Amino acid sequence: MAYETSHDGQQRIMNHLAHSVFELSDEEILAEVRESGVDPQEEADRTSFVLRRAADTWESENERLSNLGHTINPNYWRCVEGIYHNYCLSCGSLVSFTTAAGEMQGEALDGRCPERDQYTIRRTGSVS
Amino acid sequence: MAHLLSFIDTRPQYETPQPPEPRSQPEPPSLPPTKSINTAPKTALVVENDEILVKLLRRCLEDEGYTVRIASNTEEGMRLYGDFAPFNVVIIEYDAPQRNGVKIDYFLPQTSGKDLASDILKINPSQGIILAASAYGSPDELSLRQELMHIPVLIDISIFQLRTFLATLEVRRAMAALTVPDRLRLKRSAAYWIWTRGLGRAAHNRTADDLLSEAQLRTLIGAEDTRQGRHWNKDVDFVWHLTEAMRSISTNWKRQSEKEAYLISELPTHDAEGHEQSPLENVASRDAAADRSLVAKGEVARIFRMFTDDTECTQVLQGWYDGLKPNEIRQKYGLDEKRFAAAKKRIRVETMSRRNGGGGGEEYGI
Repeated sequence: MAYETSHDGQQRIMNHLAHSVFELSDEEILAEVRESGVDPQEEADRTSFVLRRAADTWESENERLSNLGHTINPNYWRCVEGIYHNYCLSCGSLVSFTTAAGEMQGEALDGRCPERDQYTIRRTGSVS
Repeated sequence: MAHLLSFIDTRPQYETPQPPEPRSQPEPPSLPPTKSINTAPKTALVVENDEILVKLLRRCLEDEGYTVRIASNTEEGMRLYGDFAPFNVVIIEYDAPQRNGVKIDYFLPQTSGKDLASDILKINPSQGIILAASAYGSPDELSLRQELMHIPVLIDISIFQLRTFLATLEVRRAMAALTVPDRLRLKRSAAYWIWTRGLGRAAHNRTADDLLSEAQLRTLIGAEDTRQGRHWNKDVDFVWHLTEAMRSISTNWKRQSEKEAYLISELPTHDAEGHEQSPLENVASRDAAADRSLVAKGEVARIFRMFTDDTECTQVLQGWYDGLKPNEIRQKYGLDEKRFAAAKKRIRVETMSRRNGGGGGEEYGI
């Protein structure tokens, strides 16, 4: 139990340090970033870019899967060793998503879902 | 029988030392007051003339908490948009007719749905739009202008797919509402998590951008089981949600790196003369708590060493280390509010700019 002190103390320092930026007012954080020699607008834009890129990746990968006719339940993603796994509700084929690569892989991406109409509704007079 | 037995490993079995067990983290400091951008009711406009699809979309949207307005043609859609915009989401049928009573000829290109999408984007470029094109076999069959290329297209419409796109739109909306200081706080806290966990480029090739991106992706995956994704409870401020996600992700990365280091320690190594050493010489201690404590001690010493000439910074660090509250730190060391804030600022600035020993702003992607 004596070992806990160093580890917990270290964790507390880390948490305080990372959270201390949230104690700053808008003006203070802007000033602090400027003082560190960084353009606040540039850094903020870079942050937006990173967040947007992640959203674009997720959306386009889901679109790719969806356009092959596969249907996955977004609540069924399961993470194993950093890789997210799911399966098509219609045909059962597997799909995985690796956040580091930002890419979906698996047999579901190999082709169109053979049971694509099981969960989807198509427009009357469909031409496909 | 002898043949079968030859497959059985009869060598003595040794117990493999197990990697350290994950343990719970100390509670983070109390949360700052959160501001939620999500208290307003969510609204959706659906431009669709197929009754079955209207029913499905309405049900799905209402289940997700949206108030739904329906237009059965693009003229009506534009009128409703003009009267009630902005909407959280506008779902437009690619083949929606311009006005009712006009029979759709599926062998002729129908353009009014995409025209409406273009017109709405001219009015509000950040309006979240989803194009529904369930009469088609693939998005390649659609003819979309440049400004519509980034819009998600639903070919096979299901409740599940719609939910995924709606959730992504909500995250995009929260992103668009982030102010410059919000984004700076996110970036700086990401950099601190990377630095304080010792995950920088010199050690584990991680940057603040990697951590931000990971937190965002896990939010988007958003499985309701928090052990699997990072479900965003919409009552929680998005900035605070991402910060907490980064805290737990960086903790997991740290554990993972400790586990990897442990496994590597079991590989045979060679001494200076090239003789193979027994893996047992490299196996980490069986006492995981002792190992973790040793590592923590080293990291704490590294932080304290930066401020050997700064008494007030050392006092603040000591107070944090001891788990004291801000007012207790100030009281114990006789620091007024101004000096306390100044010391915290020096700690932030110094740790962010520190480059010796493989760790500065540059390393964390700042």
